[in-house]
Amino acid sequence: MALLELSGLTKRFGAFTALDDISLLIERGEVHCLLGENGAGKSTLCNLVFGVHRPDAGTMTLGGEPFDPRGPAEALQRGVVMVHQHFSLVPNMSVAENLMLGRASAVLKPQDIIVRMEQLAAEYGLEIDPEARIDELSVGERQRVEIIKCLLGDPQLLVLDEPTAVLQPGEIDALLAICRQVALRGKSVILVTHKLGEISRVADRTTVLRQGRIIETVTMEGADIRSLVRSMVGRDVQSAGSVLAAAVDIEGKTPAKPSDAAGPVSPGEAVLQISDLVYRDPHGVPRLDGLSLTVGTGEIVGIAGVEGNGQTELGLILAGLAAPSAGAIVVGGTQVGGCTPQEITDAGVGIVPEDRHAVACIKELSVAENLFLGAIGKFSRFGLLDKSARRKAAEAMMRDFDVRASSPDVSMASLSGGNQQKAVLARELSLDPLVFLLAAQPTRGLDVGAIEAVYNRIRAARDDGLGVLLISSELEELMAVSDRIAVIYRGKLVGELAAGAFSREAIGAMMSGHAHV
Amino acid sequence: MIDEQMAVFIGSGLRLAVPIIFAATGEMLSERAGVLNLSLDGMMLMSAFTAALASWATGSPLLGVAAGVLVAMAVAAVQAVLSVTLRANQLVVGIGFNILALGSTTFLYREIFGPLSRDPIPGFAQLNLPWLAHIPVIGPALANQTGLAYVSILMVVVTWLILKYTSFGLAVRAVGEDPRAADKAGISVAKTRYLGVLYAGILAGLGGAFMSVADSNTFTENMTKGAGYLAITAVIFGGWNPWYTLAACLLFGFATALQFLVPALQLDVPVALLLLLPYLLALVAIAGFVGKSRQPSALTIPFERGG
Amino acid sequence: MVMKNPKLARVAKGARLELVPLQVLVPVVSTIIALGIGLLIIAATGASVLEAIEAFWDGMAGSDFNIGASINRAISLALVGLGFIFASRANLTNVGGEGQIAMGGMFATAAALHGAGDLPLGLAFIVPLAVGTIAGAVWGGLAGFLKAARGTNEVISTLLLSFIALPLVYWSVESFHLLRKPISDVSSLPESAEIPDTTKLPLLFPDNGSPLHIGLLIAAIAVVVVWLVLKHSTLGLRLRAVGLNATASRRAGMRTSFYVILAMTVSGGLGGLGGAIMILGQQFYLTSDFSSGYGFDGLVVGLLSRGSAVGVVIGALLFGFLRSGSINMEISAHVPSAVVLICQGLIVIVIAGSAILTNRKVTR
Repeated sequence: MALLELSGLTKRFGAFTALDDISLLIERGEVHCLLGENGAGKSTLCNLVFGVHRPDAGTMTLGGEPFDPRGPAEALQRGVVMVHQHFSLVPNMSVAENLMLGRASAVLKPQDIIVRMEQLAAEYGLEIDPEARIDELSVGERQRVEIIKCLLGDPQLLVLDEPTAVLQPGEIDALLAICRQVALRGKSVILVTHKLGEISRVADRTTVLRQGRIIETVTMEGADIRSLVRSMVGRDVQSAGSVLAAAVDIEGKTPAKPSDAAGPVSPGEAVLQISDLVYRDPHGVPRLDGLSLTVGTGEIVGIAGVEGNGQTELGLILAGLAAPSAGAIVVGGTQVGGCTPQEITDAGVGIVPEDRHAVACIKELSVAENLFLGAIGKFSRFGLLDKSARRKAAEAMMRDFDVRASSPDVSMASLSGGNQQKAVLARELSLDPLVFLLAAQPTRGLDVGAIEAVYNRIRAARDDGLGVLLISSELEELMAVSDRIAVIYRGKLVGELAAGAFSREAIGAMMSGHAHV
Repeated sequence: MIDEQMAVFIGSGLRLAVPIIFAATGEMLSERAGVLNLSLDGMMLMSAFTAALASWATGSPLLGVAAGVLVAMAVAAVQAVLSVTLRANQLVVGIGFNILALGSTTFLYREIFGPLSRDPIPGFAQLNLPWLAHIPVIGPALANQTGLAYVSILMVVVTWLILKYTSFGLAVRAVGEDPRAADKAGISVAKTRYLGVLYAGILAGLGGAFMSVADSNTFTENMTKGAGYLAITAVIFGGWNPWYTLAACLLFGFATALQFLVPALQLDVPVALLLLLPYLLALVAIAGFVGKSRQPSALTIPFERGG
Repeated sequence: MVMKNPKLARVAKGARLELVPLQVLVPVVSTIIALGIGLLIIAATGASVLEAIEAFWDGMAGSDFNIGASINRAISLALVGLGFIFASRANLTNVGGEGQIAMGGMFATAAALHGAGDLPLGLAFIVPLAVGTIAGAVWGGLAGFLKAARGTNEVISTLLLSFIALPLVYWSVESFHLLRKPISDVSSLPESAEIPDTTKLPLLFPDNGSPLHIGLLIAAIAVVVVWLVLKHSTLGLRLRAVGLNATASRRAGMRTSFYVILAMTVSGGLGGLGGAIMILGQQFYLTSDFSSGYGFDGLVVGLLSRGSAVGVVIGALLFGFLRSGSINMEISAHVPSAVVLICQGLIVIVIAGSAILTNRKVTR
């Protein structure tokens, strides 16, 4: 008998149907992967199983009994545990305190937890100092705490939502090994991912979701990876070229060409020069540790690296949202390190920031207001807004950049992620002067069509003579778009590959700090 | 002469501190859970009035305290519904309750007590603990307190134990710091916050009742005179720590008592400046100019479970 | 949360359209309910409800004098309310109206008593008004500075600043070397001397006995200016942007600290102007509790208006008339004016509690 049975689950958010009539069996002792694009409904499905949301229709049974959790507490009681994409640990508490949270008796007994932690360390190799504070731990260590927290109560079902996105290659192997260990002990694992490479290494069965529906469930033994990809994206990968391959991370697939047909303009003089950049966070921890980099006119330089190695800080400093502790940044002859965002913009720098919602746009404001957020005074008379002139200019810009919205006056929040990103690109690429563009994780959370459009814009900017710095955690994306790839590790560049010499293995090794090229 | 004045000063400082200690201690726990009750003053005022009324009607100050606490808990319960379940602006709701409390107690006082003589209502006697009285200087002031005053210190200890050694305390801290994480650990954010607000209500009720049935044996209009705000100030000044909050309450109590001592000693310090001293200290503290106290991250932020 | 398809966007837009009447409906309904409860309470005391209403009406609008006095009260409330919505445009909650009124009134009194009285061309009252405005602006701006420089929650700081301002006023009227009137007078209450006649605000209708003064014009101008700035100016848009998302605004080149301080300074200045007008327009001398309750009433007016300048005008008139009526009701019909406080408290609580209705969003 299956451990978990889902029948006819449907979940709507407003008029949007996130999950539509999902029926699925999870067997005991299996690792079951959920595969799908962003927005396919994977996370929503996990959240239903864990009681974060409740289904609008359909039923679940767990171990043969009806299962309808009204919240995580009830799911936990029934032996369902979950590791979320974003960790759910209280940052200013110790590991032991976090582990006691929600499961201790009336009076706290830290000794019991420490004993249990020792058992788990022996069983799975999950070791960690119970006294350490969460905000002092690395990302990988925090995930270890999350998994220990899940395993403490001897659960029946372990749900992992995109657990590998934040990990280094070595850590990913360890995590996948733990998943197998858990399954071997008769428990079930649901693993959400969009990376096929991981699936083929760990899954017993895989279910493909697209637009809230189950496309197919396959047993991995002898399965055809290509057909899985086809189910996932709804069309054939070969025809769509490297972009789709980038999106799904097919192992072993080499992109056809590092750049599109037009080819790179041969790089000219340096437009961005970073020398010996150092950044220490408020706790004094060095996040950038002597980074030097040059980007020339008409080239796209990619920065590869596991998340958390200084990319975010580099992006913030280039945007003027953080001041470097030491080192120089020169754009077109102007020193911009530690300057205000306005001064950086004036120097000819366009920024597509990593966090679209927090930094790039104000979702409550209209599309037109967002398109001219940095130039509010441009359409005004005596301090009063000239809204009709602004609307006209916004309409022209939306046409040029294919930003699809019913009007420039609708709120930014009502646009799809892809159209929001196109609006941000429109604003930043319309700056005058403009000599350099930073694009940080520019396709994160976008659908395939929008990804293609973003790539084309970035390439077109390069062809117009701009210098472009592309920071991405998607290796395939970097290999498809960049003219040159530099690898960042612990706040430093540890190697560089020229176009034509890209290799997954070499970059992967440098990303984990193992090799210098 | 000086000794006698010192004894009076210490005695009145302690008496003035007790209601703030009660209210601030409860409020501290509630704020650790993420809910700020600006309505604290309203809870105290309503409790002070209800305790006076019940004590006068039944002749039992103990029943008075019980009634006062019940009314304060009722206010706290409504505050919790509004700020936890309905996710209303906690500060605005609190101000609304304070206006309502001032209006309703003033109105009822005039309607019920208005025509009556102003005899003292039945109150608690002072305990006069002989073993405390022998301590030099502070002894007599410490010994001549009502039982409720000692309860306030007991509540500080209890609250500290709850926060440090119980899973409820752990839940309170987690919910105030990172409600999303607490929720996913299986803790009910709403339940924890409801309990936190009710706890603040119980203690504010004790503080308010102390003012009318243990301290002055009467009720006067707006008798809290902003003691609830002072208690919130003490929590901020105390950096959300029970012992520092206690110290802040004592400091504020003595600062207020200074206004009686200063004229008696014929010192030329304006009383008004003594009155604003606690607030000034709190402002300096919250602006981070002294020490490093960090408020709970989720303070005043309603929690809504998201995807 | 990001919305993924156009269908959902349309739904969101539809929901927002339906909000407009709700935003008006909630304050209106809660005011009516609160007043109804007030009447029930009056009835429960055994007093004649008709008599109470009559006394109430008489106090509000029974004569030219009463109408003028009610509107004069509304003027100060409107200014505090405008200050509240100005700050809230930048997502800041200024609950320190009481302290800003107190500072404005105190400094206006000081200016009127010390020198301004002899100035020509109406400067005799303009200068004290300006001084009061600046005093309020400093008091509000201080909270803005603490927010921008130290991240101090402006709700707590404005509240604390109010509790600091009130003893300062008390200090000024009980100290002879400050504003207390000389002891040689008949009474020796702790209050200031009366301000010179030249510094009193000119009356609009000096012939019919109405106390209505030119503060009405000042308030009217303030309403129009605040409305223009908040709804149609680049400054209003910048304030809104900073309030909604400080990081994105900073990235777009705005000096966010500047706008936070500016919003609180203007907000406090409007409160200070309200306090100055109270002294120069109707009270004429400073007492330690002259501002009593006006700050919270003004805050309630700002809340009721839901960010609209027109709403502030309506709310201020409502509360101005309520206050006048309640005072007369207590004198003539012996119904405690505290009933009106109960109504006000209920209005605030109900409106705050119903925010979940008016602010609901389509979340994912």
